[in-house]
Amino acid sequence: MSNNFKDNQPITATKLMEEFRRYQKGSVSRRHFLGVTGLGTAMAVMGAATPSLMPGSAQAAGKLSNKMVLSTWPNYHNPKTLENFTSETGVNIQANVFGSNEEMLAKMQAGGGGVDVIENTNYTFSTYVKLGLLTELDLSRIPNYDASTQNPKFSSASTIDGKIYGVCKNWGTTGIVYNSKKIKSNPKSHKDFFDVTMGAGSGHSILHDYQLTTIGAALCALGYSFNSIDKGELAAAEKLLIEAKPHLFAITSDYQPGLRAGDAWMSICWVGDGKQLNTDLPEMQYFVASDGGELWSDFYSIPVNTPSLDTSYAFINYMMDPKNQSLDAEVHGYPSSDSRVTGMLPESAQNDPILYPAKELFNALEFGAAESLTDPTRAEVMARFKSA
Amino acid sequence: MTMRLYTFAVYLFLYVPIGIIVLFSFNSGRHASDFQGLSVKWYGKALSNPFMMDALTTSLIIAFSAALLSSIMGTMAALALQRIRGPLKPLFDGMIYVSIMIPGIVIGIATLVALVTVFDFLNPILASVWPEGANPPKLSLGYMSVIAAHTLFTMSLVILLVRARIAGMDRSLIEAAQDLYATPWQTFRLITLPQIFPAILAGFLLSFTFSFDDFIISFFVAGTNSTLPIYVFSSIRRGITPEVNAIGTMVLAVSLILLVTAQILLRKNTGKSSAAAE
Amino acid sequence: MIDDTNAKRWLTGVLLGPTTVWFLFMLVLPLVVVAIFSFGMRSPEGGYVASFTFDQYFNLPSRLAAFKNTLSYAPLGTLASLLIAYPLAYYLAIKVNQKWKLLLLVLVIVPFWTSLLIRTYAWIFLLGGKGIPSLLEFIGIEGVRLINTPFAVIVGIIYGYLPLMVFPIYISLEKLDKRLLEAAADLGCAPARSFFQITLPLSMPGMATGCMLVFILLMGEFLIPAFLGGGKVFFIGNALVDLFLQSRNWPFGSAVAITLVIIMLVTVSLYMRLAMGKSTGQDESLM
Repeated sequence: MSNNFKDNQPITATKLMEEFRRYQKGSVSRRHFLGVTGLGTAMAVMGAATPSLMPGSAQAAGKLSNKMVLSTWPNYHNPKTLENFTSETGVNIQANVFGSNEEMLAKMQAGGGGVDVIENTNYTFSTYVKLGLLTELDLSRIPNYDASTQNPKFSSASTIDGKIYGVCKNWGTTGIVYNSKKIKSNPKSHKDFFDVTMGAGSGHSILHDYQLTTIGAALCALGYSFNSIDKGELAAAEKLLIEAKPHLFAITSDYQPGLRAGDAWMSICWVGDGKQLNTDLPEMQYFVASDGGELWSDFYSIPVNTPSLDTSYAFINYMMDPKNQSLDAEVHGYPSSDSRVTGMLPESAQNDPILYPAKELFNALEFGAAESLTDPTRAEVMARFKSA
Repeated sequence: MTMRLYTFAVYLFLYVPIGIIVLFSFNSGRHASDFQGLSVKWYGKALSNPFMMDALTTSLIIAFSAALLSSIMGTMAALALQRIRGPLKPLFDGMIYVSIMIPGIVIGIATLVALVTVFDFLNPILASVWPEGANPPKLSLGYMSVIAAHTLFTMSLVILLVRARIAGMDRSLIEAAQDLYATPWQTFRLITLPQIFPAILAGFLLSFTFSFDDFIISFFVAGTNSTLPIYVFSSIRRGITPEVNAIGTMVLAVSLILLVTAQILLRKNTGKSSAAAE
Repeated sequence: MIDDTNAKRWLTGVLLGPTTVWFLFMLVLPLVVVAIFSFGMRSPEGGYVASFTFDQYFNLPSRLAAFKNTLSYAPLGTLASLLIAYPLAYYLAIKVNQKWKLLLLVLVIVPFWTSLLIRTYAWIFLLGGKGIPSLLEFIGIEGVRLINTPFAVIVGIIYGYLPLMVFPIYISLEKLDKRLLEAAADLGCAPARSFFQITLPLSMPGMATGCMLVFILLMGEFLIPAFLGGGKVFFIGNALVDLFLQSRNWPFGSAVAITLVIIMLVTVSLYMRLAMGKSTGQDESLM
């Protein structure tokens, strides 16, 4: 059953004792010992019967486990990159897809052991670190990572008190995508988004099931900061959202299916999704709103109680290889913070107006703030909007 | 005639979505919404996908354990409840009804909150009493918590089913057995058990189905384990491929086979048990 | 003799032991913990801080819409399922010929054996732009939107829970002594009258059971509104998932959960007293 062929080989008594001594001396990991001796299968059966009584991470450097759990977002990897990793290392990847950073955090907080790598966003680091949920990274175990080729604007959010907790996967803008065959008014801003939603495009717009971007969009449309936690400004945003709600197609962070089926005409959109949609359906236009919006970067981080630290590092190191990053980017479409990767892309992609918006638009964007994510007023505004 | 038409319409309503699931499982295209030609490749993909198979195994282990535990414990409780009087009986009846009445989502949440609290309390204690050098066990959510939470509901279901059967049972046989100096165990094994067995079996099957299909309780208490419904939920989010349709079709096919087998077995068994009763 | 009762007591204890343990640890303990949490406060990072405050309960009106939605969609969905299920159950129990009965019955359960998730997913496709609306467009009716509407949620509910309604009604109709109907007909009773005076009252227990089953499940529903309502039709179940898995407000989530449990206990026990009480009364009067 195991994908690690060594697990399935019989073992002699002398070899078993030899391995056991090595294990006692600590020169091999427990996982290796169990794998080689075939006790792994027995332990797995016991583990199934007495869950989580098996100790967590392997202590010494050594073998990779045969599977890992990756907490990620919809449409965020090239299936080929993940398949290549599996065929090179024998590690199968289970991708758990989340709808929001809050949800990812909630699952981690509620005792989400067993996750190897998470792909969290810039503004979550202070909260994760405060809750003691992330492992400090040892960059020497990620040789493919090169700090000197990183754009610090995007890669620095994972450094808390001088310690590094994540390496940058990619960055992106949060803008708006619309179907230009259906919406002819050429929208340019969040204000236009809400006007079209409550006018010509009624019944065909999507807002995210994510307070940061949904409330942020309403705040921008009203001329406030994307990150506002001012009670008065949030009340105004809530009013706008509730007014728009009857005109929405859906409140969901998984907006591609609705747009592709033609049911939805417009959505708040992360740039990679915009790129994917535009590539398949040229009428899908992505733009960064003239009244502001969000700039963000996502990271690879390792939870504290990862089942196998070696596997986590192996995966991150693999994904940091510029070759693999650009293979991944072919599908997800997000711009990289690593100049080695950008250099590998064709000229047209390096100047892609979708990925790299005009300077004045770009400069109006804000990074999401940690307080915007954890602010209780914003959480309540979102809840009232959804239940209205 | 109108009745027939109506019935036909209802069956159409019941089966068109199933037909769609099955049809699209043979879609050769990647997107579930466009049909691009016939192919069985998604079945191959689903069967060779280790996570889908893992999730299936997890679901089967959980459903089987929950069904087994609840049929044994539920039957024991139903047998005991017919003999007790006094304040204990309404107390148990209350518990049974409450555990059936409480929505699954509340069971999921309450179990999550309680277990996380208990684990947070126990883990440091375990770590401090554990011998130096060895990795202390770390309690966390997993198979056990899902089985335990499912069993609460399914056990109460079995109690109700078996109790109804006991109530309709022919008492004279038991009295006759006692008159013939049969031990209580003999009476149980030869008289009671064969009579209540169909109810136990029905309870087992219902429990299995409930547990296998449950999403919401597992969603809260499974930790990072994926059951099949959790896997499907995640796939639907990831942008669904016909792989999920293939999984659904296979589950349906297996259920049908089980259903037919159970029907045949049940028929044989009731034949046997009525023979034994005679 | 004393030994005998002792042994019996001991046996009863052993038989009830596991169930008692289960009820204590999986029902009483979790409910007590949730009740305690509901008087606590949310910590700034989410989760729970011990406290004793009624703030969470005072905040309940902010989820009023969710309670209202659930308390209107649940009875509505139950009623719709009943209206669709009854004629089917009637047909299966009384009209259909013995040869087909079993097959038709099995065909009602079979859909129930695929995952509710997958069945609901099928409706996303059917009700979406490339499903039924495109068929309607083909025959000239344009601009119909079905997905993410209350209608879609009701369709999902009926589809999901129809078998739960059909079965209890079928069973109670099946038990009905058909000679009663024949006698009524012989005495010149019109079919409609005999239906309302004999069949319908006799099937009351089945209807009551079916309605209760469906109602209980709907009160905690999360998937159907999430998938077919597009996040716009919001049930208490959706509010709970958000509170625990998004805003990580455990204390408020606990207060909502406790309130839901209380509502359930009150409505269901009232219902049992009314519907069940009445129908058993009629049962007895007929004997």
